[in-house]
Amino acid sequence: MSKPSHKPIPVKPTDLYNISRIVTEASDWKTALDQIVRQVRNILIYDNLAVYLALPEHDGLDVMYARTVGRGRSAEADSAWGEELANRVSTEQRIILEEPPQDDSLNRLKRPYLLGIPLLNGHNYLGAIIFVRFGGPSFEADQVALAEFIARQIALLIERQKLEKATIELEAKHKQIQLQEDFVSNISHELRSPLGFIKGYTTTLLRTDTTWDAETQREFLEIIDQETDALQELINNLLDSARLQSGQLQMKFQPIRLNNLLEDIIAHQKLHRPRQVINLQINQPLPAIQGDPLRLSQVFENLLSNAAKYAPHSEVLIKVESDKRGIHILVKDFGPGISKEYLPMMFTRFFRGPDQSTNSHGSGLGLFICKQIIEAHRGQITADSELGQGMVFHIFLPSEH
Amino acid sequence: MTLILVVDDEVLYQRLLKVNLEKGGYEVVTAENGEEAVEMVASRHPDLVILDVMMPKLDGISACERIRQFSNVPIIMLTARGEEQDRVRGLNVGADDYVVKPFSAPELMARVQAVLRRAQTADQTTTNRYFIHGNLKIDFARAEVWKDNKPVYLSATEYRLLIQFANHLGQVMTAEDLLAAIWGPQYKDDKEILWVSIARLRQKLEDNPHAPQHIVTRAGLGYLMPPIEKEPAKGE
Repeated sequence: MSKPSHKPIPVKPTDLYNISRIVTEASDWKTALDQIVRQVRNILIYDNLAVYLALPEHDGLDVMYARTVGRGRSAEADSAWGEELANRVSTEQRIILEEPPQDDSLNRLKRPYLLGIPLLNGHNYLGAIIFVRFGGPSFEADQVALAEFIARQIALLIERQKLEKATIELEAKHKQIQLQEDFVSNISHELRSPLGFIKGYTTTLLRTDTTWDAETQREFLEIIDQETDALQELINNLLDSARLQSGQLQMKFQPIRLNNLLEDIIAHQKLHRPRQVINLQINQPLPAIQGDPLRLSQVFENLLSNAAKYAPHSEVLIKVESDKRGIHILVKDFGPGISKEYLPMMFTRFFRGPDQSTNSHGSGLGLFICKQIIEAHRGQITADSELGQGMVFHIFLPSEH
Repeated sequence: MTLILVVDDEVLYQRLLKVNLEKGGYEVVTAENGEEAVEMVASRHPDLVILDVMMPKLDGISACERIRQFSNVPIIMLTARGEEQDRVRGLNVGADDYVVKPFSAPELMARVQAVLRRAQTADQTTTNRYFIHGNLKIDFARAEVWKDNKPVYLSATEYRLLIQFANHLGQVMTAEDLLAAIWGPQYKDDKEILWVSIARLRQKLEDNPHAPQHIVTRAGLGYLMPPIEKEPAKGE
């Protein structure tokens, strides 16, 4: 084995360029330091190297990186790693050289030559880097300069990594705030817009400087009526969604017959929306299931109201089948449908289809509420569609065990 | 008859505004986004525009800005309550008044009458969709520039710079004025970006960029677009 030469090669500009390149390309400072150590092995001879970082919470240092080469290897933990010097560098924040007394009788491992350099970024103190040579020779001025150069580079890298981490955290926070702001602006628009119509059309009817014929009066009153319903629905949805979020919406489970429930809902829809054609197909017999009839009605009413809103001229098919596990319900319209890419987002709060923002109202809460209710029944709801192919909802409700 | 352009993306607002205005004896045309609005101001020459701020495609603020590049038609903005920023921005880009949604029908009618009254006492409404300077033609409504009847593609900054010259035909403008108007007051000493932009504009617009006809340098003073003796009108 060749003895490591203690006659270091002089520093060349290319060495500095290489160090600088490692630093600019590095993703983390420890990998970079590994590469730098390899790069400067013949220029800056040392046995042990340790990096101590200042702890942000209290005064003190923690070792974050340590490498040993050559003679240091046999000694391992009990050899010198310069902890005390690191503390001194940390308090005095300057380069410190420490040499042992001249005594050749001692083992070289007991005579460490130490070089301690503070890690500084500008005036920001980050920690200390310690180089150890067992048995000398002393660190020469140009080697100290090189070590200081490396220390500066490492300090830059550490700081850069901190900033990158802080940026990621800030971006995540920002995104959260953005979502909240979107919600507030969407909801305020949704609340305002029916109010605007109610106010506008009412004051139009109340104009004292003119009169309206009976047909126009009726048209305006119908608009006011619809917008009042829209407002009512929005407020209900908002309250339900808030209760579901906070777990305050209690389900009142009882045995129910789904065919009776669906027939009641359809009869009610006929009164409310006489033009909507609903085609109900039930594969009898259906097992009784445990459910909250009010909440399940809400789900189907919501799907039917969506169909009326987004597929106004289409009939709606409701198909019900059962197997050992439970009941499968399909609700399908034959309207414009929605592009596949939006399907995964359909049940998230405040999501609204790309072309639904104008001329149709909605809070983006309806399907979110449906999903919450179905899941409270330990069931599943999924959506399927393709542009121009209508919209299909699949609901599964487990039977009693 | 007085013609009013109503611009709103919501059908129910279009209807609401239309019935009320028609009852008041106005003729009404409607548009449902900013782009359509700019186009219709250019083609129909309305006496008043009622412009909603929140719209898809071109929003009301940008539409107002575009309309103001070629027309002084009175504009009333429709804004949401609480959105003070929208009202300020609207007035800054040249709106004459604003009405806050939800509004009552009588309030709207009163605003419309007031704005129309003011407009009558002021100058005549002028709408010049096209600006022609030699072989150069600007279509303000579409924000398009033509040279020798071929389209020229300008960056947003270059276009705004050109509009600045066109709207101050024959006036020398200092570098500081141009920088403040196009880039903002904090850029007023940043002469180099103006030089580069003018050089690029000349490359695109001038037959010989070293002997410019459209954007001329007045050494030590600034720049101007010189007035041109009327040629036989092209393309209008």
